[in-house]
Amino acid sequence: MLAHMMAMENPKMITAEAVEAMEFPELADKHGVHGVPHTAINDGREHVVGAVPEGNLLAAIQRVAASI
Amino acid sequence: MSNLLNESVTAQIREVFGNLQNPVHLLFFGREQNCDYCNDTRQLAEEVTSLSDKLSIEVYDLDRDSAVASQYKMDKAPGIILAARDGDVISDLGIRFAGIPSGHEFSSFIQDILSASARDSGLSSGTREFLKALTKPIHLQVFVTPT
Repeated sequence: MLAHMMAMENPKMITAEAVEAMEFPELADKHGVHGVPHTAINDGREHVVGAVPEGNLLAAIQRVAASI
Repeated sequence: MSNLLNESVTAQIREVFGNLQNPVHLLFFGREQNCDYCNDTRQLAEEVTSLSDKLSIEVYDLDRDSAVASQYKMDKAPGIILAARDGDVISDLGIRFAGIPSGHEFSSFIQDILSASARDSGLSSGTREFLKALTKPIHLQVFVTPT
């Protein structure tokens, strides 16, 4: 999983959690999850919907990191 | 108790795991109450682990083993962490699964084990550079379903 691979590059700073939406429905609802995969970054600071290439997820992470 | 993985899948995984280089350690977190998928997830993780001597697993209870859970910031059951093992040293790779990695997610689970063992994310050098230089915490939660 792309997110897991990103975490591997810096595990001290990055945690990537694959969350099974049917087992954790309140969490999925909290983030407005409809289609999967749906990636919430830093508790919903940004959302990436669908399976996206590396560059797209990286760009979203960069935006979130710049805003912290 | 019958196996979750059938013979054909087991044989395929065992073959793929023949290429595992470095040891990977799985940490499983379950809880006794209110966890419909805990037993199946634990069994799945144990079956996968048994298919290579490069893999090891430790089973924890989220409530009884709260010190370990908070060390890894693990708060969901069933949960699986994939970590690197080098000798006696276990190193967090930031890889977490919450809920049973079955169906489509099962191939992600196996693929992640292969990458963790290779100690190689396979990402581009530009991506690696940026991520390694991060000084702010990033938490990615990828919602998936098994079908």
